[in-house]
Amino acid sequence: MFEAISTAPYRSSRFPRLRLGGLRPALPALIFLFLFMVVPLSSLLLLSFTTPEIGLGNYTKLLADATYGRVLLNTFSVAGLVTVVSLLIGYPVAWLLAILPSRVSQLLFAIILLSMWTNLLARTYGWMVLLQRTGVINRLLLHLGLIDQPLSLINNLAGVTIGMTYIMLPYIILPLHATISAIDPAIMQAAAITGARPRQIFWHVMLPMSLPGIGAGCMMVFVMALGYYVTPALLGGTSNMMLAEMIAQQVQSLLNWGLGSAAAFILLAVTLVFYAVYIRAVGLGRLR
Amino acid sequence: MISRRHLLQSAGIGAGALALGALPTSRLLAAGNLTFVSWGGTTQDGQKASWAEPFAKQSGMGVLQDGPTDYGKLKAMVDAGNTVWDVVDVEGDYAFHAAEAGLLEPIDYSIVKKENLDPRFSFEYGVGSFYYSFVLGYNKDAVGSKTPEGWADIFDTTKFPGKRSFWKWSSPGVLEMALLADGVPADKLYPLDLDRAFAKLSSIKKDILWWASGAESQQQLASGEVALGKFWNGRMYALEQSGANTGISWKQNMALADILVVPKGTKNKEAAMKFLALAASPEGQAAMANATAYAPTNTASLPMIDKKMTSTLPSEHADSQITLDMRYWAKNRDAIGERWYAWQAA
Repeated sequence: MFEAISTAPYRSSRFPRLRLGGLRPALPALIFLFLFMVVPLSSLLLLSFTTPEIGLGNYTKLLADATYGRVLLNTFSVAGLVTVVSLLIGYPVAWLLAILPSRVSQLLFAIILLSMWTNLLARTYGWMVLLQRTGVINRLLLHLGLIDQPLSLINNLAGVTIGMTYIMLPYIILPLHATISAIDPAIMQAAAITGARPRQIFWHVMLPMSLPGIGAGCMMVFVMALGYYVTPALLGGTSNMMLAEMIAQQVQSLLNWGLGSAAAFILLAVTLVFYAVYIRAVGLGRLR
Repeated sequence: MISRRHLLQSAGIGAGALALGALPTSRLLAAGNLTFVSWGGTTQDGQKASWAEPFAKQSGMGVLQDGPTDYGKLKAMVDAGNTVWDVVDVEGDYAFHAAEAGLLEPIDYSIVKKENLDPRFSFEYGVGSFYYSFVLGYNKDAVGSKTPEGWADIFDTTKFPGKRSFWKWSSPGVLEMALLADGVPADKLYPLDLDRAFAKLSSIKKDILWWASGAESQQQLASGEVALGKFWNGRMYALEQSGANTGISWKQNMALADILVVPKGTKNKEAAMKFLALAASPEGQAAMANATAYAPTNTASLPMIDKKMTSTLPSEHADSQITLDMRYWAKNRDAIGERWYAWQAA
């Protein structure tokens, strides 16, 4: 039987063959995951089909209603915006971390990690203090004479984007840094020797080689941003409400648990679809 | 010499013993104590000082503070049969709604003395916690020399530019305020004309901020983020006491009560009733009023209130006061709530 496995034609790395016997060491973790994730999620799914009455009522209500559709659309667009902005800011930082001398880069790393470990609520409230009409940023700009009226930086899309990008940055910088520092500088030297200009080297050599890191980081940030509750609730306005806040309203105020669960499951389903598309595009074997 | 195996074994036994010892202790801790839940901040501090501490002294039973009140959690607890909250301070309309949904224990009026309790705020399943008014709070720096008075001023963005802030969740108050500002007489408020109220609110929608907690409302007004708003009077009192440059207008204040309820299935039912008896007593209500500027729901408390506090109480501003109809809200809570959240997200 051993020969059969080793001489079998090698399948593409997209879906590596699973050897079930090898799962035995993972059994405790799988049981834990099953008990504390699969079981509660399934009971929630059941709730969405049975409360207040059995059937697909909650789902038809959600998908037909314009308000919920708008909230869903808004959730995805804000998450997408945050991902793009985080990438634009995070890529140069990751690159810098990869090329700076190790003492400086270690210091920068420590700063990034410390900010990631600081309590989420404390950071969000910190941003409220900075972004308010009478907050630090507005006071500084007014004092410098750059603006006449305080800028509206909070309780709108700007506030949400700033706050969430700040929180997501470490999550995009770390995978990007891992990928970029793994790029062999000799390849880029070779490109330069063969006559490529710096911009060409970036576009045609570095960017494609850092694509796995970009993909991993963006996927992580996008999926996290989809489900975020606290930061959009505190820094955003109600007109660009995100799905998590809507679910909270249903669950806590209207006590409409069936609808809340249905909304949560729609979000989960769409996220899984995105993830499946991502895996197809990148290939399972190349995930880091 | 201690071998590694020996060390691991004794560590294992030690950890096991600790775990075994800790388990019943934590359960005993909850069982021997009453859990009181409220909205946090200055209000809960007042309730702790006025009721929880005297109760603990009187009965020898500790009182654990928890919060903020979360209706989802309450329902989850009762549904699961694992009620850990013993006395919960909830909004008035929710108390009536929860009673109808079968989530509450009936109040034992043989332990809680019913006489002198304001009939507006106490009923079969709940005892009045305190009653408050929604008042017009304003930041003196932001409004300048003019003083806002009635609710119509909140909707006047030319006279009083700047943002306004209201309670975020669907609850009595904001819709009534919009109707009163639009000219509806106080006795013709109910049933609420929702279309008219939402149209009025939409006229200033881009200037509205929302507060989701008492502390947030205080923060927004004190920092100047909003110029005016509709706030709980007790929080405004606390703000003035702390030195913020804010003012209150009592004109057309809207009275509403918080009600203390006992969730169904609580394990400390008798202790909860004794706690309610203390909280609803004239002394308990007077102590709460003196601490927070919220009004007592026991009419016998009025003579016990500090003279200097009386001007801060809703009970003293009854001339233009409108009592909001909690029973109407309890009945229509879900329908109004759906419309409210849909309008908010638009």
